[in-house]
Amino acid sequence: MDPRQRPPLRRRLGVLRVMAWSLVALLVLVYAWLQLVRHGEFKQLAMQQAVKMRPIAAPRGLVLDRNGHRLVDNRRALHLVIQREDLPTKPEVVVSLAEALTLDPAVLARKIQIYRLAGKGRPLVLKENLDEAGIAIAERVRARFSFLSVEVAPRRVYLGDELAGHVLGYVGEVDEELMKAKPSLFHLGETIGKEGFEASGNDKLKGVDGQKRILVDQLGTEVANFGQVDAVAGRSLFLTLDAGLQKVAQDAFGQEAGAVVVLDLRDGGVLALYSSPSYDPNLFLNRLSQDMVDRYLANNVTRPMVNRATQGIYAPGSTFKLLVALAALEKGIATAQTVVYCAGKKNFYGRDFRCDKPTGHGNLSMVQAIAQSCDVYFYELASRMDVDDIYATAEKYGLTERTGIDLPQEKRTRIPSRAWKRKAAPRDPKWYAGETISVGIGQGAVGVTPIGLARFYALLATKGKLLTPHLFYGFRGDQSNELEPAPVSPPKETALDPRNWAVLDEGLYEVVKSGTATASALKEITMVGKTGTAQVATFVDKSHYARQAKHLKDHALFAGYAPREHPQIAFVVVVENAGFGASSAAPIAKKLVQYWFLDRPRNPLPPPRGKMVDPFAPQQPEVPE
Amino acid sequence: MRERFRALDPRLLWVLLALMALGTLTLYSAGRNTPQAGIWLKQSLWNLLGVILMLWLATTDPRRIFRYSFPTYLLGLVALAAVLVVGRKIGGSTRWFVVAGQTFQPSELMKWITLLYVSQRLGSRPADSVGRLELFGAVGLVAFPMLLIQRQPDLGMALSFLPILLIIPLMKGLRARWVLALLLLVGVGGFGAWKVVLKPYQKQRVMIFLDPSSDLQGKGYQVNQSRIAIGAGGLTGKGFTSGSQTQLNFLPVKTTDFAFSVWAEERGFLGVLLALGLFGLLLSRILDAARAAHTNAEVYFCAGAAGIFALHLLVNVGMVAGALPNKGMVLPFFSAGGSSTLSFFLALGLIMGVLYRSRVK
Repeated sequence: MDPRQRPPLRRRLGVLRVMAWSLVALLVLVYAWLQLVRHGEFKQLAMQQAVKMRPIAAPRGLVLDRNGHRLVDNRRALHLVIQREDLPTKPEVVVSLAEALTLDPAVLARKIQIYRLAGKGRPLVLKENLDEAGIAIAERVRARFSFLSVEVAPRRVYLGDELAGHVLGYVGEVDEELMKAKPSLFHLGETIGKEGFEASGNDKLKGVDGQKRILVDQLGTEVANFGQVDAVAGRSLFLTLDAGLQKVAQDAFGQEAGAVVVLDLRDGGVLALYSSPSYDPNLFLNRLSQDMVDRYLANNVTRPMVNRATQGIYAPGSTFKLLVALAALEKGIATAQTVVYCAGKKNFYGRDFRCDKPTGHGNLSMVQAIAQSCDVYFYELASRMDVDDIYATAEKYGLTERTGIDLPQEKRTRIPSRAWKRKAAPRDPKWYAGETISVGIGQGAVGVTPIGLARFYALLATKGKLLTPHLFYGFRGDQSNELEPAPVSPPKETALDPRNWAVLDEGLYEVVKSGTATASALKEITMVGKTGTAQVATFVDKSHYARQAKHLKDHALFAGYAPREHPQIAFVVVVENAGFGASSAAPIAKKLVQYWFLDRPRNPLPPPRGKMVDPFAPQQPEVPE
Repeated sequence: MRERFRALDPRLLWVLLALMALGTLTLYSAGRNTPQAGIWLKQSLWNLLGVILMLWLATTDPRRIFRYSFPTYLLGLVALAAVLVVGRKIGGSTRWFVVAGQTFQPSELMKWITLLYVSQRLGSRPADSVGRLELFGAVGLVAFPMLLIQRQPDLGMALSFLPILLIIPLMKGLRARWVLALLLLVGVGGFGAWKVVLKPYQKQRVMIFLDPSSDLQGKGYQVNQSRIAIGAGGLTGKGFTSGSQTQLNFLPVKTTDFAFSVWAEERGFLGVLLALGLFGLLLSRILDAARAAHTNAEVYFCAGAAGIFALHLLVNVGMVAGALPNKGMVLPFFSAGGSSTLSFFLALGLIMGVLYRSRVK
């Protein structure tokens, strides 16, 4: 039978037709619901995941030495980051991400928590300064965790590695405490200076981050840019440091520990400041890599993180005798002609105080006493004064205050006084006259920083000008690329009597001419200075001393200025546990003076060029054509 | 040759051409700036090949086709069994033969072969009554390939066989109330068992058995992105090749399962209305063929075909909108794919043949 003639079949097919159109109508309703009723909501969701605000990291300013050689440069680096809106919420995701990147899950979770709560800021950096291997790892991890992205941002490069670690410092992520203390000044994830000039000059070096509104695809890759506020790069600046002189200081130290400070007597600019052992700031850019921890932080024997030039406190030893002499002259208890007999030792208050020369120096004038570094002479001067007289003189000539150098956490020089003892030793607050005798030769409680001592010797060199040591020389002109010198705080004039000064100057001259440091004299330049040997421990006799462990040996010091006729630089050299000052510290000072006045004018460093130049790189031999 | 072209049913042809145009535009936009940039061209070639096959089948006497339905069915079963052994495993399922770099999915065609054979079997029986035996027989004929396909596993494909079992007995006079009662019983019973009897881990096992590839988080993400795409399209759409969800790759598998979302995002509700209207006309024309058919087998085939097309429409378009679970059923003319495209056109060729014969006589 022809099915077309069968009414039931026609009826059933009619039902199917109704059902077919009902299905279409149903689907139309579903789409009307999504596309018409809920359109706004989905439109916003689509916007939210495709249009993102991204901060643009502003490069920090470059740091140049006084001649324009780059000490700190910027390079393009890739960082593996999580954009703030993409921070994962699920704990298990965080744990597996930490595993994939070999990070501590607890630390990562905490970081993510902090970043989520913060109002504004930069993306969370997981791995920074990716090298080729790092990029490969990052890409592999990104395949599993789509919320990760790779950000291009400037990174710091410190030239010369350990050349000026303590001067330059390094940068890092702003830490939580600082964020909490000054939330208006810093934002999360911001790179700030952590140490050295990077820290103290942070405001000068940092730029202003920009922001851009971009379209991203599902992988977070930027597809289009809707507009941006450009980042403003930080200004580049010059330091007073001279890279060549700094290098001489670094080379002179070798394996020894200690510090060097060289000051420019015109303005107090720091020409060299080296603390040995130094550190390589480049290693600190990767947040706590194990390498860095091993080499530096865990090393509490040589303590390389301490800037010995500004944070190391040393007994000044004989270099302090100049202040004692000055105090005696100003107090009027002695004159240049005052003669003291040295028998190798002298008894004060029932105790024998020994001179460095057991056989004694005989009769000495003040100048001779300085030149020969006779202890008995200065015991005698000290015995005629109160410790507070010495303190008052130190205070008058700026030795009791911080120098104000633009480096973080400078330590204050310690000059004992009665008031100091009351505070420092509340159980035994009384000052004993015998203690003053030790202060007379820069021992006992006296402790100075090399920078503080250098400032005092700069004062002697300038006949009484109290300079403020500083590293900041001036900004680099945005157009000219030339130095725009920053105003220097004017030196404070002290009432140093020229007649007294002449005595001290004469004494320093004799030290190198006929006294303890004759070996370090230079023919062409009259370098003057005072040796110092600061006791670390007391020994029975010299053979006992010779057998002692290195770390118990005396610190060697040399402080002075050059040239005597019209001084240009003042310097302090401290070599730890090196023994006698004349044999280890003075030769370093000699190298500095020799370089500065003789080698440098004859054979200067190659002039800086536009690109970063390592002035210490071995010279390429010129190939004749 | 002219004779052959006369076999083309103009009303059906216009609908098909319109749907192909929409699908090609969609694939062009979906493939843009991706490794699949040429997919619209490739799909156009499949469409062309499909139209030729359709033309060839439309000029073949449907009775001759039905005559070969049984050996074809056996061949199909062999192919389904073979694919389990020698097939290529992609994404955890073994569904594809690989020939000369092309993948072929035998289950796509098997759906229509099964419909053909069941139509032929039941069409040769007395009309307007359904014997218990022939009903069970039909269930068996459909269940066998379904089980083989579920072994791959491919739940979506297996389910797309169901309209055969539902519609042919209905056409044959099985009372609708029985079918409804059965559906209700299975529905309520299944729901009750799910809610009351089964423990969570047992439910999980059932879910994994039914759909081992179900990765709820992954698919939840896909459907969510698809809903955002559709909703963001609004009334008039974001414009051709301007959908952010599509062009920025937030929308997953946009050339196959989620192709319709691309259309919905870029052409908006008006575009959806157009596409769904065309699908309605397609179903309507297929049902016209069923009404014009000369034999019961042809009626069953056409009605069943309408059912299968409707199921694909419902499941795919409903799924991408999040109204139905994600079961990976393709949308004819939109989702890229050679096997499915050729299969759809072969079925349409038979339907056109039915229409042609009704016009000629």
